[in-house]
Amino acid sequence: MVKNKAQSKKQQKRGVDFKKIRRKIGRKLPPAQNATNTEIKSKAIILPEQSIASEKAGLAVSKKGLTLKELLQQTSHHNAKVRKDALIGIRDVLLKFPAELKLHKLAVIEKLRERISDDDKLVREALYQLLKSVIFPGCKEDNKGPINSLMMTYIFNAMTHMAIEVRLMAFKFFDLLIQYFPSCFLLYAEKILQNYEDILQKNKFYLQDKGRLKNALAGLVRCLSLLPCSNQEEGDSLSYNDATRGSLHAFDLDLSDKSTDLSGVVNRLTDLLPVLVSCFQDFSPLIHSMAHVDVQSFDCMSFLLQSIDLVVRFFVHASGNNQHDFQNLAPAYKKNNLSICDQSISAVTLKKLWDEFPLSPNHCLSEKDGDRYFMLNIVITEIFLHLSYGSKLSPALLERFLEFIESSLSEKIHNGREAGKVHHEKHLISLVAFIPKLIMQVSAAWKSRILQAFMTVFENCSPESSMKLACLSVVEEMLLPEQNCLYLDPKDLEILNHSTWIGELPKLLVLLGDKHPLHVKAVLRLQLRVGQTANLNMTPAKEYDNMQYFIRAFYCTCSNGTVSYGPFMRLPRDIQELSVCCLYYFPFLDKVLLQSLASCCICHELEPFILFRIMEVLHSAYKAGHIQIADYISFFITLLSRFQVYPEKIDPTEKHEVKSNRGTFKSVVRAVCSWLSQIGDDVLVLQMLEKIVLDEISHKRPVDNIYGFIRLLITLDSKPTRLSEQTINRLSEVLPEYFLDVVNNIAEEDDESTKFLIRQTRDYYLLPCFFLFDRSNMLLNQILEVMESFIRGNASSLLPHQKGALAKDHSSRILSVVSVLLLVLGDIKMQKLLLSCKTAIRNILESMHTLESSEDITMTIEERHKIRSAYDILTAAVSTLKYD
Amino acid sequence: MTEPELVIASSPTDAGIGCWDLHTGAEHLRYRTCSSPSHGLTCVGGRFLASSQLRETKSSSGSILYWSWNKPQVEVKSFPAEPINPLVSNNEGTYIAGGGASGEIYLWQVATGKLLKKWHAHYRAVTCLLFNDDQSLLISGSEDGSVRVWSLIMVFDDLLRGKARQPYEFSFSEHSLKVTDVVIGYGGANAIIVSASEDRTCKVWSLSRGKLLRNIVFPSIIDAIALDPGEDVFYAGGRDGKIYIAALNAVADPNNNYGLHILGFLSEQSKAITCLALSTDGSLLISGSEDGMVRVWNTKNHNITRIFRHAKGPINNVVVVRQSSLMSNRGTVNSQMPSVKRHGVSLPPPLEKCANSADENDYKAVIGPRIDPDRSVEASYISIQSLSNQILELQRQGSSAAAEMEIERLKLDRSRSMQMIQQWETKFQSLHQFCVTELLDGEKAGNA
Repeated sequence: MVKNKAQSKKQQKRGVDFKKIRRKIGRKLPPAQNATNTEIKSKAIILPEQSIASEKAGLAVSKKGLTLKELLQQTSHHNAKVRKDALIGIRDVLLKFPAELKLHKLAVIEKLRERISDDDKLVREALYQLLKSVIFPGCKEDNKGPINSLMMTYIFNAMTHMAIEVRLMAFKFFDLLIQYFPSCFLLYAEKILQNYEDILQKNKFYLQDKGRLKNALAGLVRCLSLLPCSNQEEGDSLSYNDATRGSLHAFDLDLSDKSTDLSGVVNRLTDLLPVLVSCFQDFSPLIHSMAHVDVQSFDCMSFLLQSIDLVVRFFVHASGNNQHDFQNLAPAYKKNNLSICDQSISAVTLKKLWDEFPLSPNHCLSEKDGDRYFMLNIVITEIFLHLSYGSKLSPALLERFLEFIESSLSEKIHNGREAGKVHHEKHLISLVAFIPKLIMQVSAAWKSRILQAFMTVFENCSPESSMKLACLSVVEEMLLPEQNCLYLDPKDLEILNHSTWIGELPKLLVLLGDKHPLHVKAVLRLQLRVGQTANLNMTPAKEYDNMQYFIRAFYCTCSNGTVSYGPFMRLPRDIQELSVCCLYYFPFLDKVLLQSLASCCICHELEPFILFRIMEVLHSAYKAGHIQIADYISFFITLLSRFQVYPEKIDPTEKHEVKSNRGTFKSVVRAVCSWLSQIGDDVLVLQMLEKIVLDEISHKRPVDNIYGFIRLLITLDSKPTRLSEQTINRLSEVLPEYFLDVVNNIAEEDDESTKFLIRQTRDYYLLPCFFLFDRSNMLLNQILEVMESFIRGNASSLLPHQKGALAKDHSSRILSVVSVLLLVLGDIKMQKLLLSCKTAIRNILESMHTLESSEDITMTIEERHKIRSAYDILTAAVSTLKYD
Repeated sequence: MTEPELVIASSPTDAGIGCWDLHTGAEHLRYRTCSSPSHGLTCVGGRFLASSQLRETKSSSGSILYWSWNKPQVEVKSFPAEPINPLVSNNEGTYIAGGGASGEIYLWQVATGKLLKKWHAHYRAVTCLLFNDDQSLLISGSEDGSVRVWSLIMVFDDLLRGKARQPYEFSFSEHSLKVTDVVIGYGGANAIIVSASEDRTCKVWSLSRGKLLRNIVFPSIIDAIALDPGEDVFYAGGRDGKIYIAALNAVADPNNNYGLHILGFLSEQSKAITCLALSTDGSLLISGSEDGMVRVWNTKNHNITRIFRHAKGPINNVVVVRQSSLMSNRGTVNSQMPSVKRHGVSLPPPLEKCANSADENDYKAVIGPRIDPDRSVEASYISIQSLSNQILELQRQGSSAAAEMEIERLKLDRSRSMQMIQQWETKFQSLHQFCVTELLDGEKAGNA
């Protein structure tokens, strides 16, 4: 630094011209004076949020802040990871904002479908999850057409992709699609089946992996189960539901599912079947060689068998004789093509399958494996049975299958193991359904063996199991063969042990109780059908007759005065109705059953509807001669005398709590009256019933029941009365009490609102008596006399020590008598009748007068006053009568 | 009102058959001694009345009686093998079908009284029978709750029946109790059947598809139904004395007062309605009730227009008969019948008790012409086929047919122009002749 200074001093000394410029290396020229400073300085600016994000404030974004549009764009990103993330993002968005899906559904699907044939496995998986969990469930109720067609093009594309993985995945996608939109299968069936065939046949190499094969086959099974044979019933029930609402002769627009032509499918399936069988054959060495067969192979085998089963079922259905169900096929296919292909299938292709049967490895097996083999065998048997109907088979083969069926039905069931049993049952159900068809075909010896085996199953399975249901339907089919157009010989029917089957039904009903309405319904339906078809002089009829000893417990049992209601009371209404219908078909309804029915009828819990149904059915049964007249009458008399009527609460506050059943009883009375009068000539019926009715009336019964009996009397009686003098005497003893009860039960109130109602109710009770009076003046006279004795006689007849307590009672009684008389006087027709009873009325007035004026009775002043005023009112009423 | 209609009614008590003119209300003859079961009264081809009779439960044979129109006494009595409940004849009056108490159906030929066929149709007693509108099907309802459709072709063709899996066309067994009435609409094989049962329902069946179309639950048991000719509604007479109107062609209103598909009811506080009939134009509904009255309702305004009093007891049959056919057929007498001479009127002989195998040849000779209706049914099938063939042909060969027509037309043109030419020729010739003669004459005149 010092030297530098010296130099600069020297230079200054020299002249400008000779200036020697010496440069030192490493030094820089000083910047020019006018140089521009080109340096750029910057500082990071940190904003609280990005400006783009703020624009999205109202938009639907994923967790990463991307909109649906951006995410959709990213799905076609070249990086697999980005694509996957985008799919997951879409899932986020759509879950958070379901409206977004509705708006952009087609756009989303249009973009996403490209990913079906994505090379990356994870992306496809993500797409699958996205479709499965979000998009398809969201689109379920929309118009499916566009979605299907959008998806299908790409799915088909993927199915022919080079990479086997993609192809398999495509099947998975299709599987998913038809899970949600099953109707679309038939549209694409031909192509799909073609693809399945390809992958099963030509690419066996890839399918060494059992897991993949399993997945593909599961999809195939689902597709095949959509073929018309298996879902026919559901479709029928659906259309039936629609039909109940609309008009009958209306034009039906919805023909889309019917118009599909199945001929192509038939061809495809014909090709597919051998492929499936050969696939199954590939497994056979496995079974014979390996000691232990893994689960996946088993699954594959069972799927294969199921597919074969479904294909066969479709063929059988299509070529079956119920052709008018099957209008989908072009006529040409109906007759020639299908039956031919059916024949060829059974003969050649499946021969290989039969050779394998039964699958039974020779080494010892664990329980689980045993069950699996059993299951496979069952499926093969099913296939066999489907085909066997109507075609000729070699006896040896048939023998083999029959042996298997018999042993599986009878022996294995009681092997003891609980878990195994349940497992077996599940599979046996499908087998059991074939029994009716089977016994049609086999020889007599086999018939009885198989029936025997079936009987053991039927008896041993628990009442609640679905096996029981299946068995019941089989029994129904065998007993009533006309429904499925098969005719069992009457001789065959004798083989079947009726007593056990029909006798079983009522016991079963009691066992089932009210917890299993479905089962109960099935049993009752069978019972009804058996009843309907039971020929009156054959064994079933007798058995049916015997049934009623057991069926009693189903309704109600009485022992030592205690009544215990059976399951009938707690079952739903339609089942109750069904069981009531069964009653009609008993050739003879005995007393005890009627008793238990009657005790059901008088129970409060029974719906009025069912009550009337029971009465109606018994009436019809009587008309058909199934009930003896004495039992019939006593049933109705019991009903009239024991039916408990809750009084209507006139008090408006309590009205809502108890719904009166008086209306019900009134209809019961009306029905009973009309039916009893239909028994025969009124005079004779009256003669028969007179005594019973009077006995019932003279028992102290509630007013409603007495009302019922009086109604019955007046229905049967005529004007002038045919009642005997004795009857009238007894009536005159009973009726005054009845009147007093009516007046006391329905007490008069001052309230204006209820007054009319009370008046109406009282008239309701008195009206039938007025009819009686109209027909017999003597009765009226006698009753007035009895009433007079109430007023007069009671006081004198009282025991001395009761006097105090009963005096009040007596006075209130007098008041009641007066109000009864007022009621009677209030009726215009009765006024005319009363003219002839002047003396009786006068007597009443006189005795009231003497009572009121007498001093010897302990009577408070208030009571005396009341009687006085009542007397006045009555006198006034009577005087108007006299003037008229 | 071109053709007077008659109402005939009978009852289970011995009250005879009442007969009234539907439109004027005039009462006609009352035919005596008739106690018919439900559906047991029929008019055979408009020629005479026939009714099955209720019998004592003990008696083994049934009874069917004939009355001619102009005599109140029973003319012909026949005693079938068992009590017959429903009795029906086809429109022409050639057959009578009866349903027995054991479930058998009997088919007689009216003209000879021969029992043509008897078959076991139901498990229990047959309750109602009817023919469909083209007389080829017989529909039967039974106490066992089933309604079955029988093709008469099948009934007589043993070979066909052997081949078929069941002897009937359809068996509808959804009813859980006795079938009380069955009616059928128009339309041959596409008709609907409505059946009523004691299970308080009416069910509508499709004859073409063989399945249940509709189930209508009523508030009471329905004993009688009548189907409107337009098939918009049907009338159902209940045991509660109301005639319910049930819709067939309207969309059901779930919050209806009476029940799904029930539009309303006609009521006159009467006892149970036991039978219903409609006049041919559907404007009058005739109901028979348990109180012995026959009521005539106007179906448009639902008012009663007329009441006929039949008897004290219940009525169980009401039939409407067109009088024109009755009058015109009155004269037709099968003179070969011996019974005709005996009674002096034109009634066929009694119905036979059982099919007589000795008369096998004779039987075949008689049945010959009876196959006619069957053949006509077959012919209709053929006509459908040929029609479709023709349509096909027309579609395929439309152009050639048109060309043919064109040729035809051209030929016609040609012949016409040929004629014209000939005409012209003759005219020319005559003119030529005329000219020549004129010329010659002129020359002659000139010469002269």
